Amino acid sequence: MLHDVLWERNIDLAGQCLDHPFLRRLGDGTLNPDCFRRYIAQDAFFLESFLRAYAVAGAKCADLRHVKVFHEFMTGALEELKMHAGYVRSLGIDVTQVKPYPATRAYVDFLQAMAWHEPPGITLAAMTPCMRLYAYVGSALAAASPPRNPFQDWIDTYAGEDFHAVAADVESLLDALAHDEPAVHDAYRYAMQCELAFFTAPLEDET
Amino acid sequence: MQELENTPLIVAAGSLWGEATQAAFLDALGDGSLPPAAFGRWLEQDYRFARGLLSFQAVTAAKTPRPSHKPVLAGLAAVDAELDWFENHLAQRGLSTDAPAHPVCRRYADFLLATAYAQPFEVSLAALFGVEACYLAAWSRLEAEGPYAEFISRWSGEGFASYVRTLHELTRRHPHPAQQNAFEQTLRHERDFWRMTWEG
Repeated sequence: MLHDVLWERNIDLAGQCLDHPFLRRLGDGTLNPDCFRRYIAQDAFFLESFLRAYAVAGAKCADLRHVKVFHEFMTGALEELKMHAGYVRSLGIDVTQVKPYPATRAYVDFLQAMAWHEPPGITLAAMTPCMRLYAYVGSALAAASPPRNPFQDWIDTYAGEDFHAVAADVESLLDALAHDEPAVHDAYRYAMQCELAFFTAPLEDET
Repeated sequence: MQELENTPLIVAAGSLWGEATQAAFLDALGDGSLPPAAFGRWLEQDYRFARGLLSFQAVTAAKTPRPSHKPVLAGLAAVDAELDWFENHLAQRGLSTDAPAHPVCRRYADFLLATAYAQPFEVSLAALFGVEACYLAAWSRLEAEGPYAEFISRWSGEGFASYVRTLHELTRRHPHPAQQNAFEQTLRHERDFWRMTWEG
């Protein structure tokens, strides 16, 4: 299946993400809480764009069954945003005041450019890494998480069955709509690079 | 140029304007010390960027109301002609029209395309003015002489300056509160693009 080929070809970047200091510290519970707060603020900004990209890609589908699947993905993204709203409240983040990092901005602009300008299959290739990577990272971190990890809720969300099911559904739709072509490979790999940069940004911003 | 630099969008951008229009790459191009590899990198990446710019301008033109169509459509046709011109220069130097876009180039083109589709056309006009005003200012700092005279005069001549003034007039005719933000984001991308062509 195309989604397997894409994942295998980018396993190097998946490994770099899992080995990234941000995720290693999140996994062992030593991540600076301020850093986690910055990350969540950026992720909330990003997720809104992700939601819109689903909407635009769905609107372009010729087959109404595919539109419906995109609608289900939007529901999933809205659920994830609700989880963020909980974090946002407990961490005291004002979402309206979030200033996107250059890495966030680049990722968001990329998703929007794909969603509006390219066919849904290519847009899905740009969106799948976020889902598959988080499922992968969630499971790996859950397997090694120490007791009373302050970030256990975050890990459990992405290690959980519900998130894995949505990630698998996104991959199925990718298989249905995308072709094995350079633009698809390129979008997938660039999205993985955007993911890696996304983990680096909150570590570098110590202001 | 002084008149241009007194426009509110540029004045409010502060130091970003200078950062977007002055570059080690251009200094070296002007004094003859530019490594050929750096020029080749710029040519390939600027061509990739211009292809993205064409899509951005096409979408912007489609959303622009009728009374303001002509300069936007003329600008679109000019980019098309510029792509031909780039392709000739790339071929002469044995360079590729399919060089992978550097992430900095890609970010810039993604920003423009996302703006064209998802923002009101007034905001895209401010970004377009930013793209072209930066080029006019950057290349106008150089004397049109030496091996790159053709490149310098292309973006510092009166024809191009007149187009940039027209774009500025369009942003005044079609104001929008998000223009300043889009304009400044364009300057950041210009700054990063020049750095990329110099540093690789």
